[in-house]
Amino acid sequence: MGSSEDKVVAVIMVGGPTKGTRFRPLSFNTPKPLFPLAGQPMVHHPISACKRIANLAQIFLIGFYEEREFALYVSSISNELKVPVRYLKEDKPHGSAGGLYYFRDLIMEDSPSHIFLLNCDVCCNFPLPEMLEAHKKYGGIGTLLVIKVSAESANEFGELVADPNTKELLHYTEKPETFVSDLINCGVYIFTPEILDAISNVSSHREDRANLRRVSSFEALQLATRSLPKDFVRLDQDILSPLAGKKKFYTYETMDFWEQIKTPGMSLKCSGLYLAQFRHTTPHLLASGDGTRSAKVVGDVYIHPSAKVHPTAKIGPNVSISANVRVAAGARLINCIILDDVEIKENAVVLHAIVGWKSSLGKWSRVQGQGDYNAKLGTTILGESVGVEDEVVVINSIVLPHKTLNVSVQEEIIL
Amino acid sequence: MKALILVGGFGTRLRPLTLSVPKPLVDFANKPMILHQIEALKAIGVDEVVLAINYQPEVMLNFLKDFEAKLGIKITCSQETEPLGTAGPLALAREKLIDGSGEPFFVLNSDVISDYPLKEMVAFHKSHGGEASLMVTKVDEPSKYGVVIMEESTGQVERFVEKPKIFVGNKINAGIYLLNPSVLDRIELKPTSIEKEIFPKIAAEKKLYAMVLPGFWMDIGQPKDYITGLRLYLDSLRKKSSSKLASGSHIIGNVIVDETAKIGEGCLIGPDVAIGPGCIVEAGVRLSRCTVMRGVRIKKHACISSSIIGWHSTVGQWARVENMTILGEDVHVSDEIYSNGGVVLPHKEIKSSILKPEIVM
Repeated sequence: MGSSEDKVVAVIMVGGPTKGTRFRPLSFNTPKPLFPLAGQPMVHHPISACKRIANLAQIFLIGFYEEREFALYVSSISNELKVPVRYLKEDKPHGSAGGLYYFRDLIMEDSPSHIFLLNCDVCCNFPLPEMLEAHKKYGGIGTLLVIKVSAESANEFGELVADPNTKELLHYTEKPETFVSDLINCGVYIFTPEILDAISNVSSHREDRANLRRVSSFEALQLATRSLPKDFVRLDQDILSPLAGKKKFYTYETMDFWEQIKTPGMSLKCSGLYLAQFRHTTPHLLASGDGTRSAKVVGDVYIHPSAKVHPTAKIGPNVSISANVRVAAGARLINCIILDDVEIKENAVVLHAIVGWKSSLGKWSRVQGQGDYNAKLGTTILGESVGVEDEVVVINSIVLPHKTLNVSVQEEIIL
Repeated sequence: MKALILVGGFGTRLRPLTLSVPKPLVDFANKPMILHQIEALKAIGVDEVVLAINYQPEVMLNFLKDFEAKLGIKITCSQETEPLGTAGPLALAREKLIDGSGEPFFVLNSDVISDYPLKEMVAFHKSHGGEASLMVTKVDEPSKYGVVIMEESTGQVERFVEKPKIFVGNKINAGIYLLNPSVLDRIELKPTSIEKEIFPKIAAEKKLYAMVLPGFWMDIGQPKDYITGLRLYLDSLRKKSSSKLASGSHIIGNVIVDETAKIGEGCLIGPDVAIGPGCIVEAGVRLSRCTVMRGVRIKKHACISSSIIGWHSTVGQWARVENMTILGEDVHVSDEIYSNGGVVLPHKEIKSSILKPEIVM
C-alpha cells in the first residue's frame, strides 16, 4: 500500500471550549476531544487509525483550546506512535477549511503529497488507507468519506449527490430544509495540497466583495457575507458546495458504522461502538471474568488496570471503567462510562449512565437513564464529584459538578 | 484590626453565574460581592483581610491585587485542601489572625449582604466585655434557620435552636462575628461548625453576646434572594447616599447605572435595577427588578423584569425576559424571543422561546 513518493500528513480538528456546550456537563472538566470512549480519549481513535497510513510524516491537532490542556496527551501519543504529533492553537475559530489554511506553512513543512483532514467528533472505523487508494484513482483534489443514512435523519448533516459510476461529488448542501439525498458527509477527507489554493480563493473573493461593498453598499451582498471575516472558511458551504460537479471532489462510501458525537448520550453509544470494534482489532483490551476470581463480565467491557472491581460485581455489556475506580461487592454496571476515581459502593446499580470523575455512589443507590441516546435526558449524567447517598435513586437526570443528592430525583437538571 | 471572610466552595446555588467566576466575584449592585465586604472593613480601619477559600484561590488573588493597592488593604488567602466547615478555617488562618495586639478580629460570611454596621459592633463588643459578639437579624420564617435565644436587655446569648418547629424566637445568626483571639484556642484544625460546636460552648460560659443588626440583611447565595437583596440594598442606598442613584424622567424608583453605560431614547427603567459598566441599552427598552451585568447589550424594544442578565450577553429586539430568568455569561437571546424563567448556562444562543421555567444546558 502507498507508493514510495507518497508522504502523508493528518490534521485532526478538535474545536474549542465555547463550542462544546452541547457536551455539558462533561466538558466543564475536560476538553471534549479528551473525553474517554472505550477507555481512550475521543481523539485517540482517529489518531490510532492514522497508524495504518503508510508514509505518515506528522499528525497535527488544530483547535482553540489552551495548549496546556493537550500537552500531556500529545507528548505521550507521539512517543507511542513514533510519529510527531503537534497541537496547533488557533487564535480564534477559523472554520474547518480556514484552520487548515491558517497553519498551511506548518502543514506543508514536509512537502506532503496528501493531507488527511478528520473531525474529532465523529465515530467510525476511519478507513484511511482505502480512502487514499481511491483518491489516487479518482485524481481530484479531494475525496470525502460518505455514508447512506435514513432519509428522515439526513437533514441533520451535509447532504450530497455523487455520480454512481465515477463517484464524483455532483451536489452538496449543508443541513437542507427539504430532502436532497440520503448520502451524507462523514467529516473525514483526504486532499492534495491544491486544496489550499481553493481555500485561498474563497478568502480573497470575500475580501473583494467586502471592498465592493464599501463602494456600492450593495445590500444583498452585505447580507450574504455579513459577520464572516475573510479568514473564516467553512469546508462545506464555502468549498464543497461551489466546487461540486467540477470534477474536483470525489466520494468514498463506507458500509461500516458512523456516528457524530455531539452530546454525552451519543458518547455512551460511541463508546460501545468502539468497544465492539476492539473485539476485532485489539481484543486484549477487553475485560473478561466469570465471577470467581474477578467480576463477572458480559459483552464488551473495558476496565483500566488500576481499577478495583469486586469479584461479586457484574459488569456489562458496554461498560468502560477508567483509572482508580473502585467497584464494591454486589454492584451491577450496564451500558455506562465510569470516569477516573469514582467509588461505587456495595449493591449499587448503574445503567445507561455516565458517572463523572471522583463521584461517589452510595450503597443500594441506583443511577439510571432510559437508554435513548438522542433524548435530552435519555442518559443520566453525573458531573465531577457528585455524591449520591445510600439508597437514593437518580433517574433520567443531569447533575452538575460538586452536588450531593440525598433525595431521589427524576427527569431533572440539578444545577 | 484583621478580618476573615468565609468564602467557601463552589457556590453551586448561584449557578449559572458561578460557572464563570468564583462566587465572591459575582457582581452585585455593580461590584463584586466581596468588595462590599472589603470596603466596609476598610472603612472602620481593618488593615488585613484573610479569605478562607477552597476553590480557585489564584483567580481571586489575581482579581483582588488591583484593589489591594487602590483600597490600601492587605488581602491574603488561606486555602483549605478539604472543606473545614465554618470554624475550621479560623484554625487554619490562626497565624495570620493573631498579631499579638490582643485585639478582636471580624469574621464575615461571604454570602451575606447588609449595611455592615461594623463600627457599632466594635462599640458593642467593648461594652459587654465578653469573648465573642455576633450579629442577629429578625426574620419572618425563623423555622428555616438557626434561631438565637438571647437575654433582650444585655444581648447575652443563652442558646441556639436549629430549625425550630415551634416558635422560640425570630432572631437568627446573621453571619457577622467579632471574636477575641482567645476564641481560636477553642477551635481545632478539623471540619468544625462555629454555629453548632463553638458558639454554644462560649454561650454556656456566658461570654457570647448578640447585637440586633440595624438595617437590612439578606443571604444572596441563590438567584431569587439575589434579586430581593438588590431591592433591599438600593432602598438602603436611597436613605444613605441617594446621589448615587440614577434620576430622570425615564427612571422609576431606585436604579443604579454605571457611568460608562449608555441608555437610549424612550426607555423606562426601574424600580430596583442595576446596570453595569459598558452596557448598551438601546431605545424603547423596559427594565424592572433586574441586574444587567458588565458589557451587556439590550436591543430595541426589549422588556426585562425579575431577571439577571450575565456578563457580555445580548437580549434581542422585542424579546421579553422575565420570571427569574438567569442568563449566564455570553448568552445571546435572539429577536422576539420570550423567556419565562429560563436558566441558561454560559455561551449559549437562545433561538426559540422558553415558555416555562427550565434549565438550558
